Amino acid sequence: MAILEMNHVSKAFGGARALHDIHLSVEEGEIHALLGENGAGKSTLMNILTGVIPADEGTITFLGKEYPSPTIKQMEEAGIAFVHQELNVINDLSVADNIFLCREIRNGLGLIRQKEQLLRTRQLFEDLGVEIDPTAMVSELKTSEKQLLEICRALYEDAKLLILDEPTTSLSNSEIEHLFGILRKLRDQGKSFIFISHKMPEIFAISDRYTVLRNGEFVHSGNIKDITPQAVTSYMVGAQYVDEELYRPRELGDPIVVLDRYSGEGFSDISLTVRRGEIVAFTGLAGCGASELMQTMFGALPATGGNFSVNGKQLHGSIVQFMKNSVAMLPSNRKENSVVPDMSILENFYLAEHELSKARKPFIRTKEELARYNAQKEALHIKARDPSDSISSLSGGNQQKVFLARWLNINSDLLLFDNPTQGVDVGAKEEIYKLILEFAAEGKTVIINTLEIPEIQKVADRCVVFYEGKIVKIFEHKDVTEHNVMLYSTNAIETAGEEMIS
Amino acid sequence: MKENGMGFGKRLSRIWSQYSYIFVLLIIMIAYAYTVRINGNDFKFSHIAAILGSQNTCIVGTIALGMAYVIITGQIDLSVGSSLVLCTGVTIVVYNMTDSVLLMVLAALAAGALCGLINGLLVGLGKMPPFVVTLGTMLIYRSLTLSVVRKIDPAISGSASSQFALNSKLDHYKFLRMQFGTGKLKFGGFSIPYIFFVFLIVAIILIIVSKKTKYGKSVYAVGSNEKSARLAGINVTWIKISVFILTGLMVGVGSILQACKIGNVTPASSGQSYEMYAIAAVVLAGISMAGGKGEILGVIFGALSYTTINFIIVSIPGLSVDIQDTFQGLVLIIVILIQTAGPSIKESIRRAKKRRQSSHTAD
Repeated sequence: MAILEMNHVSKAFGGARALHDIHLSVEEGEIHALLGENGAGKSTLMNILTGVIPADEGTITFLGKEYPSPTIKQMEEAGIAFVHQELNVINDLSVADNIFLCREIRNGLGLIRQKEQLLRTRQLFEDLGVEIDPTAMVSELKTSEKQLLEICRALYEDAKLLILDEPTTSLSNSEIEHLFGILRKLRDQGKSFIFISHKMPEIFAISDRYTVLRNGEFVHSGNIKDITPQAVTSYMVGAQYVDEELYRPRELGDPIVVLDRYSGEGFSDISLTVRRGEIVAFTGLAGCGASELMQTMFGALPATGGNFSVNGKQLHGSIVQFMKNSVAMLPSNRKENSVVPDMSILENFYLAEHELSKARKPFIRTKEELARYNAQKEALHIKARDPSDSISSLSGGNQQKVFLARWLNINSDLLLFDNPTQGVDVGAKEEIYKLILEFAAEGKTVIINTLEIPEIQKVADRCVVFYEGKIVKIFEHKDVTEHNVMLYSTNAIETAGEEMIS
Repeated sequence: MKENGMGFGKRLSRIWSQYSYIFVLLIIMIAYAYTVRINGNDFKFSHIAAILGSQNTCIVGTIALGMAYVIITGQIDLSVGSSLVLCTGVTIVVYNMTDSVLLMVLAALAAGALCGLINGLLVGLGKMPPFVVTLGTMLIYRSLTLSVVRKIDPAISGSASSQFALNSKLDHYKFLRMQFGTGKLKFGGFSIPYIFFVFLIVAIILIIVSKKTKYGKSVYAVGSNEKSARLAGINVTWIKISVFILTGLMVGVGSILQACKIGNVTPASSGQSYEMYAIAAVVLAGISMAGGKGEILGVIFGALSYTTINFIIVSIPGLSVDIQDTFQGLVLIIVILIQTAGPSIKESIRRAKKRRQSSHTAD
C-alpha cells in the first residue's frame, strides 16, 4: 500500500520552472531512493512535501488523506519528518533533553521531569536498538550518533515517513553500516524512508525502489534490484548536451606543479603533476577531499605529509608564503570567504596584492590602484560603475569577477579556483569559462574544483576524480563525460565491478 | 519637483549617516550654549577652549583613538584605564630619576606598548576572548601599580601620599607642567591648550594610517569579514595583536599628558572608568561595535561630544554629583538608539511603502 502519493506536482519560481509534472510514490515499509544531480529538483520536491513551500499544481496524498495546501505543522503532525543534512541537534543539551526539546514532560510546577524523560528515552533507544547514553551531552556524540539521535527524535514524534537528506556525508564506513542496520530494522517494522544520496554503493545497498529526477522532471521509477548503477547514472545525466564548444587544445609547457604523496585534512597520498598552461579540474562528491586539497595547496589548511612544489620550490607556511611563491586561490562560497562586505569594490580588489607589496610600499596610491583595477575591469568585463561603490551593489557574477581580478592582480603562475561559478548566473558562468581558457592560453596554470561536469567538459585538459580523499581516476579531456565521471565519483565502479564499464 | 525633493532627502540622509558624529557634536554644543545662557552667562570661545583642553578630550580622546582601531577589528580593550595609571606611574618615576624629557617620553611609550603587547598576545596567540583577557589585565595593571606606590621611596615617586607626582625641584618641571601641560597657544583673542594639539596630531596620523595605508585597510578587512581577510593573505593574528599595541602606545601618549597636565597620578582612583569613557567616545564617533565600519576622524568629534556632555551636566544648577553618571548614560543610550535604530526604522517604513505599492498594483 502506498503511504505517500505525489502526482502532477509542478512549481515555478518567478518565471523559472523548478518542477514539472512530478510523480513520487512511497510504499509502507520501504526505503525509497530519490535521485538526481544537483539542481534536479529534489530539494524543491521535499520542501513541497514538508509544507515549506506551496506547489503550483498537483496533489499530495499521505496515509489516504489529501493535503491541498499543506503547512509545516500539518505535515509534521501527519507523521512526515525531515532529517536535514546539517544536523539540527543542540550540542549543549543532553541526549534525552534533545529528544524532548519543545515537548518536555513537565510536572505541576512547569518544571521538567528529568527522570521520566530519561526513562522514556531509554525505552525508545531499546526498542530501536540504538546504543547511546541518554544522559550524555550531544557535543560528545559522534556524527553518526547525532544522525541517529535526530532519527530517533523524529520517531518519538511517531513519524511514519522520514526524509533522510544525504545522511552519510560525514559518516565513516562502519558508521554507515550501523545506520543502515537500524534503517533496515525500522523498515521491517513498517516505517518508510525517502533516501537522498549521490553515492551509488549506498543506494544499492539500502534502497528498495528509486525515483530519478532530471532538470525538474520525472524521469524514471522502479525497483533497485532490476537496474544497474550505470543505468541509474544514465537516467540522472540524460542525453548529453554541450551548448558552445569553447575548448581548444593548447601547447602545454613544462611541469610546474608537483604534488608528491601530499596529505592533509580530508585527503591523503595525492600525487599529481600539472604543466604550465594546463587546466586541470578536480571533481567528486561533496566531502570527497578535493576542496580541502585545494585549500591546503594555498596554506589555508595545514598539510600533514608529503610535498607540494611550484616552480621547483617546496611550499609550506602561511597563506602569504604561498602567495609569494606564485599561488593564488579563489575560495568557494564567495559570501563567506571572499567578500569583505563593508568595503568598496576597489578595496575588495586590492586587498590581496597589498599583502605582497606593503613592506616595500606601505602607502596606498589610489591612482595606481585605479589604473590596475581598470585594466582588470576591462579584461574581465566587470560591469560596475564607480569603484568606490560597495561590493554588495554588484551582482553575484560581477562580484566573482572582482575576486578573480583580486587574484590576477598578484600575477601568480598557479590559479586555484574552488567552485568558481557557485551562485553565478548562466551568462556570467560562460564568461568565466572563457576567461579561464584565456588565462591558460597566457601561460597560467589553472586548477578548478567543481561538482559540475559540463563545466569540466568546457575547460579542462584533464579531470581528476576524487572519492573519499583519494584520486580514483584521471580522465583526458576527450574522455570526460557525465556518465564516466559520475561512475567514478559515486564509486559505482566498485559496486558493479570493473568489467561492466569496459 | 517631487523627485527633486526625494533626491535631496536621500542625499541628506546619506550625509547624516556618514557624518552623524558631526551633527551629534553640533547638537550637543548648541545644548551646552543654551545651558550656559540659562545660567546667565555669555557663551564665549573660552568655553570651547575649556572643552578642547579638558582631560576628557585629550587624554581619553587619545586613548579612544587606539580603542577605535581595536573596535574596528571587532575586539575590545577594557584595560586602558588601568594601564594609563601604570604607564603614568612609570613616566613619572623615570622623569624623577633622570630629569630627562626624552627618556620620560620613551619610557611612557615603551610601557604602554608593553601593556598592549601583553593583551595582544593573550588574545591573538592565546585565542582568548578580548573582553575577558582585558578584564583580567585591567585588574592586574592597576593593582601592580598600587602595590608599587605604597612601597616605593617617596623621593622617586615624588609624593608621600600613595601617588606618583612629578618632582617640582627638577630642571624641566616648569617646562613640562607650566609651559606644556597647562599652557595655551595664543593667537589674537583665542587661546587653545597645547595638549589639544598633541591629541590632534596623533589623531591626524591615525586618520592617515586608517585611510591611506595598506595596514589600515587590513584592519578594516579583519573586522568586516575575518575569514575573507585571512583568505586574502592578511595575517589576522598579527593585525589583532598590532591594534592592542597601538592602543598601548596611545595610552603611553595619554600618560605623558596626564603627567604634564595633572602632574600626578593616584593609582587607587585615577583613570577610573576611562575604558568606558573611551568606548563611549568611539561609539559617539559612529564606529560600529561589530567592527569593520567607522571613521577615525569621528573619534575627534566623539571625544569632544563626550566632554561637552560632561560640561552640560556639571553646569546644570542643582544637579547632584551622584546623579551625573545617570545623565551620561542616558545621553549615550539615546545617541546609540538614534544611530542603530534609525536605519532599521527607515527600513521598516520603506518596506511598508513597498507593500502598499504592490497591493495597489495587485488591485
